[in-house]
Amino acid sequence: MRIRSVIVLLPIALLAPVACERARYVDTGSPEGIITVGNVDMQDILKASSGMLESLAETGVLKTAKNKPAQLVMGEIVNDTSSRFDVGEMTYRMREQLVNTGQAAVVTTFGNTPEDKQAQEVLRREKFLKGETSEPLPDPDFSLTGKITQVKRSAGDTKQVTYTFRLTLTNLRSGLEVWTKTVDMTKLGNKNAVGF
Amino acid sequence: MNRNDTMIRTTNATTTVTIDATANTPRMARPARARLVANSAAFMMAALLAAGCGSVNTTYTRTTPADSAISAQTRVNDLFQQIFLTAKEVRMNRTKGGPMEVQIDVENNGFAYKTFSYRFDWVDTAGNVIPSQLSVWKVTNVPSGGSTVIRAIAPSDDASDFRLQLRQSES
Repeated sequence: MRIRSVIVLLPIALLAPVACERARYVDTGSPEGIITVGNVDMQDILKASSGMLESLAETGVLKTAKNKPAQLVMGEIVNDTSSRFDVGEMTYRMREQLVNTGQAAVVTTFGNTPEDKQAQEVLRREKFLKGETSEPLPDPDFSLTGKITQVKRSAGDTKQVTYTFRLTLTNLRSGLEVWTKTVDMTKLGNKNAVGF
Repeated sequence: MNRNDTMIRTTNATTTVTIDATANTPRMARPARARLVANSAAFMMAALLAAGCGSVNTTYTRTTPADSAISAQTRVNDLFQQIFLTAKEVRMNRTKGGPMEVQIDVENNGFAYKTFSYRFDWVDTAGNVIPSQLSVWKVTNVPSGGSTVIRAIAPSDDASDFRLQLRQSES
């Protein structure tokens, strides 16, 4: 009886460590992370923001601004995919790179729906107290808008999804598009997986 | 039972069906069955060779390296050869916007489809890594006999050199 128990339990005991993977830290966006077919993953967001920043740097469009550094307004970036995630995951990474390296300054007090209402109120008050022309409100050079879309296809059990990140930079003085970039991510498979 | 279990079982069922189909010829004479098995095996091998496991043919029109090809090619090649790939050429140029750009032509002369991820870190003239949101892991594939170009743009004009890290997929 005891031998039979050992025979039954031994393979289970040996397989148990394989079946359950202990939680561990991995580098954010590293290929070790989980890859899903039907969702935008962190790796995709990092790749998209990196691709956008590379394109902005190589074209040098921000250096053509009247203000130095270029003043940038963050417009609407629509997530038109079935994957639920905050677009800020991408845009704040881009802002961090652009603002902290002095390539651009993001205006957070612009428009009717400013990102920082308190700062806008303080600016308006200062402007009112000092006179109309003495302390002008920010005069941004560019606005950044965009859209994230998906194309889903399947063949049998296999699914393929292409997520497309599109960003456009508009010159606010001319109203013309001065830069645009598309970053695609295509994933194929029939189940989610842990990366390599 | 989760969805993955279902899929694993489906795969096993398919395998079982294949084995059963081969075994379901009990009334066939033994030499005939052996011949059938041999023919099937030969056909499958021929099909695999014809398919070439997704290999591609590549041609180049350029005969000499670009003027901007740099001496780092040997070191980059050492890295790629660890995962059985070849860095055909390494080019570094300054972009229109100011920062440096690196392009590496990667060739797969092996017989297997290769998936690998790579990351470029940029360093300044003092050799310090410039931390940036541009240094992220990117995944790419090279079919057998094919080639790809991996490229990266430096995060700032101060970057003068790069470090490349590679990870090969286990699949």
